Amino acid sequence: MILLDHVTKIYPGDKKPALDDVSLHIEPNEFVFLVGKSGAGKSTLMKMITKEENPDAGKIIIGGIDLDYIKRRHIPHYRRRLGVVFQDFKLLPRRTVYENVAFALEIAGMSTRDIKHTVPKVLELVDLLDQAHKFPSQLSGGQQQRVSIARSVARQPKILIADEPTGNLDKLTRKEIITLLQKINDFGTTVLVTTHDEAIVNNLDKRVVTLKNGRIVADQKTHGIYKLDGDPEDFKPKPKEPRNAQKLRH
Amino acid sequence: MRKNSATKKITRQNLKTLTKNGRTKRLRSTRRVFKYGAVNFGRNIWLSTAATLVMTITLVVLSITLVATVVLGETATAMRDKIDITLFFKPGTGKETLEVLSEVMQNDSNVKSIETRTSEEEYANFLEENKDNSLLIETLEDPTMDMRATMISTMQATMRLKVYDTENLDSIKNIVASDINFVKNLDETEEPTYNVNQSEIATITRWSKIATTGGIVLSVVFIVISVLVIFNTIRMATFSRREEIYMMKLVGADSFFIRGPFIVEAQLSGVVSGIFASIISYFGFRFLEPRLLRYGINVSTISDILDSNKLILVILAIILVGVLIGTISARLAVQKYLRNAAK
Repeated sequence: MILLDHVTKIYPGDKKPALDDVSLHIEPNEFVFLVGKSGAGKSTLMKMITKEENPDAGKIIIGGIDLDYIKRRHIPHYRRRLGVVFQDFKLLPRRTVYENVAFALEIAGMSTRDIKHTVPKVLELVDLLDQAHKFPSQLSGGQQQRVSIARSVARQPKILIADEPTGNLDKLTRKEIITLLQKINDFGTTVLVTTHDEAIVNNLDKRVVTLKNGRIVADQKTHGIYKLDGDPEDFKPKPKEPRNAQKLRH
Repeated sequence: MRKNSATKKITRQNLKTLTKNGRTKRLRSTRRVFKYGAVNFGRNIWLSTAATLVMTITLVVLSITLVATVVLGETATAMRDKIDITLFFKPGTGKETLEVLSEVMQNDSNVKSIETRTSEEEYANFLEENKDNSLLIETLEDPTMDMRATMISTMQATMRLKVYDTENLDSIKNIVASDINFVKNLDETEEPTYNVNQSEIATITRWSKIATTGGIVLSVVFIVISVLVIFNTIRMATFSRREEIYMMKLVGADSFFIRGPFIVEAQLSGVVSGIFASIISYFGFRFLEPRLLRYGINVSTISDILDSNKLILVILAIILVGVLIGTISARLAVQKYLRNAAK
């Protein structure tokens, strides 16, 4: 579904590459965490996928489309196939929750009747149907992020990429958002989430790809423990807990 | 290499499906662009008011310039038409002689028209002009007094000339002074009237020229100011909404969908300004009309337009200019952020 083949990106004026010979293959329906410290190259990688940036070397193929061959006029069509979620939500402040979600469908040319049918369903999925007529400024951070997720999944994309979706949220809301992303993954969408939140990564049994200084230093397909400041060696299988350990903790 | 060409082929097929499935229906998109433009116009009411105000001033200045140019031009022409050069010939100069003189004068390229009258015709004209003065008419026509013959024998035959260029009469003067037929028949007791109202014509011609050239300059200046102000107003709006533009691009909106509402917003400003400018110009002109007439300024052309169905066309033209200014400004303003946002 997502294939990066020896991708390198050096921003003009920088000596060190933002991405250095990165190769990554994500299968359909996978849920992948992309982790690393600030400046590790996570956002650059996301920008490559959304075609905001082009690699200096290497190849990127997303959903059967080689991004090298995409012309400028094709980019909007390509992006409509992706769901994108941002740390700062990027909602349209002058539009209501309903209008924000409907916007993603309107630009794709969906009829008003279909939009009226789809938007309530999507808002129900993110549990915001009763907030449909509010403006983003009237919502909490968690609710805004759920609107952002609703907007990104309204077109039923095959791929959802979320750049630090929990970065601005409290602990409880973070958990809600990740649960929601898991739910979307269960419907068959490939989900790629960048984060540097150890707790989130360690609580889920998902694939974790670690970037450091623009290189992939670990690709842990089984459940491991991730430490933000740690080296790849820190990804060690979780020791099996004694059966009654949980009971003992309580 | 083979692998590359294979991915290229697959990509092309996928892109074809992608664009085919994702092709937005133009009419539906256009309708939505108009809807969002109108909604934005209302939601950004202060910005819209500022743009509308500047555009209204521009359109009013443009209207004033056009009206002034037409009115002063018409007045100058009317005054020029009223003026003629009159040459006086000895009483009793016959019709044939006047025709010969006309032929000579006709050769001058500055001569627009010639009208001649014999002494009899001048007398008939005199009676016509004074037909309301019954005492005078009765006295003149009294057969016992034989005033008619006396009048005709003393009245000069005349030649009235209308010319194209009232400022350049040298060639005509030259004919009058040197042509043998003119010298022989001219009545020496009365000089030709070359300079009647000449200074007034010069003044009105000068004003007309000032109105035309000054008006054009002023209009261009105001249009440029208007475009710049609206451009900056919209640019500020797009700058404050650059995050929105970025987001729109990332969720797959095309340039038409992003740029469209901004342009519609500016066009709406143009429409509202056009209506305001039309109202201001109409009532402004109606207010000034009697005052202008009092000064002998010819406002008939503009009055006729305002009283006819052409008024609708004038209003539509003013609105169209407003819409054009709005479209150009918005297009220029949005272009920059559209290019930079998300590539």
